[in-house]
Amino acid sequence: MLLDLPSTREESWRWGDPAAIAAAAGLPRGEALAGAWFLDLEGARAVFVDGVLDEGRSDLRHVAIAPLEGGEHVLGRRTTGNGWSLRVDANASAELIQIVHISTGGDNQLPAEIVLAGGAQASVVETYVGTGWSNRSTRITLGAGAKLTRAVRLLQASGFVSLRDEAEVGAGASLIVTVLGAGDAGTRIDGAITVSGDDAFAEYGGALLTRNAQKQECALSVRHAALNGQSKQIWRAVAADTSTASLAARVEVARDAQKTDGVQSLRGLLLKRTATVNLKPELEIFADDVKCAHGATVGELDQRALFYMQSRGIPHAKAQALLTRAFVGDAFAQIADETVRDAFVADADAWLEAALSAPLPLAGGAGGGASS
Amino acid sequence: MLKIENLHAEIDGKEILKGLSLTANAGEVHAIMGPNGAGKSTLGYVLGGRPGYEVTSGSVTFDGVDLLELEAHERAAAGVFLGFQYPVEIPGVSNVQFLREALNAQRATRDEKALSGGEFLKLARAQADLLGMDYDMLKRPVNVGFSGGEKKRNEMVQMGIVNPKFAILDETDSGLDIDALRVVGDGINRIMRAPDKAVLLITHYQRLLDYVEPDFVHVLADGRIVRSGGKELAQQLESEGYVGIAA
Repeated sequence: MLLDLPSTREESWRWGDPAAIAAAAGLPRGEALAGAWFLDLEGARAVFVDGVLDEGRSDLRHVAIAPLEGGEHVLGRRTTGNGWSLRVDANASAELIQIVHISTGGDNQLPAEIVLAGGAQASVVETYVGTGWSNRSTRITLGAGAKLTRAVRLLQASGFVSLRDEAEVGAGASLIVTVLGAGDAGTRIDGAITVSGDDAFAEYGGALLTRNAQKQECALSVRHAALNGQSKQIWRAVAADTSTASLAARVEVARDAQKTDGVQSLRGLLLKRTATVNLKPELEIFADDVKCAHGATVGELDQRALFYMQSRGIPHAKAQALLTRAFVGDAFAQIADETVRDAFVADADAWLEAALSAPLPLAGGAGGGASS
Repeated sequence: MLKIENLHAEIDGKEILKGLSLTANAGEVHAIMGPNGAGKSTLGYVLGGRPGYEVTSGSVTFDGVDLLELEAHERAAAGVFLGFQYPVEIPGVSNVQFLREALNAQRATRDEKALSGGEFLKLARAQADLLGMDYDMLKRPVNVGFSGGEKKRNEMVQMGIVNPKFAILDETDSGLDIDALRVVGDGINRIMRAPDKAVLLITHYQRLLDYVEPDFVHVLADGRIVRSGGKELAQQLESEGYVGIAA
């Protein structure tokens, strides 16, 4: 199979891992994983196995299956074909939509579109499990005053997941996307968000947790093209072992996009000195009356905090896990739905337990007291 | 209870403790005073097991156990509490979660049953009340945004919750106003003044000793105890300074 993937000599792919994509695509197909991947929430449900709808396990409601374009992007365009479409009429609210992508091996492509008319609202939760190469494009159009929240859990145990997201955020609209990479698959997220209407809000953030020799990366750009826009990019990267987590985040403010208020916070945590976190914050500002706060830091866990916790009786591995959980938690704060947020925290905890070999208590719940 | 013999310790290859010996029995409060750089905080950290502080010779036994062989968290579970001169801020971890983790981890190390959420909250609320700390502060991230006095008060709340056998309190009085000093002093007496407990009070000043009366006062200078006496030694230091006494 000729994949025609980009080269790491291209700047936007300098931390990319096309070889991992090719390797994932070459994994043999197998049985679909069984498991309860849906969160305990009412609403529409769709299961895609290797990019194909499993009708027996789906309840589509607002969602339609339709031929869709994947766009121009080097990975996104490969998805052109049948995909899922969510279109919500003006001032209507769609029920929560949960989508589970089960990949069994090989490569699978699936396009998606989310089109919310003026004042419409929708909420989407996507979960990726399995193996192989899952390639997705999601094209989002938000009309005036529309609101979309989208939460993406990348939990594939092996292989590769690539997401191409393109969004147009209309006047007064709000887009909130949160991504958690907590599986063992390679990850590439390409996001291109345009804040095209006045007074709009776009938040695109999350956490990439990498271990062993895994590589996950996100290349995101938010372009402000209208007045009074607000955007946030809050990302946390945690890298263990010899893994690499990379974040390239860009904010562009066009000449006319006065009063833009942008926040960009990229923070990396190295759990081992053999791990790598790459951060590339970029600001390109052509308007003169804007506020763009930005910060990028990479470090290790605070040794003083670790000792403080140990001196109170908390074993080292558990102290590490608690501090790392707190570090990652910043990236989930914008998830409004408690069940979804708890799922993200639980996914991150499961990752931390595996990466640090330390059991964590339920946040705020009973139990605790285990030591490693 | 605690027996330190000829303790030598260094950090980054520099020797700080140079043959320190001290015995503290159950029921006793020992004050350690001394000039800046004498090794007071180093003594606290060495006893607490802070990484980077290397013991090159000597021994420390706690209730007959070799304390230096224990990990920091095991020392806590054994009943040793280190009150920090500069309590650390931990963003993203609430006081309640931190303390419950700490207490239950100690209990687990001692093979005791974990406290339930309800049991723990009752205990935490009672200790916060006794130290005049607003209960809402227990829900906030550990020490984040706390004033110096609030951090020290929080140390005492923590001590009340874990209820140690032996407390090493490193300049717990620094940064406290007069009222807070009284509250903290009362806390130390209430939590630690018992026939089966002992305290090592590291301080620069006499004023905390007005509230927590020591049974013994030691002067630490250049990594060693150079003089020991009763509480009157602290008053003498206050009026005469370290220069003459430590020389």
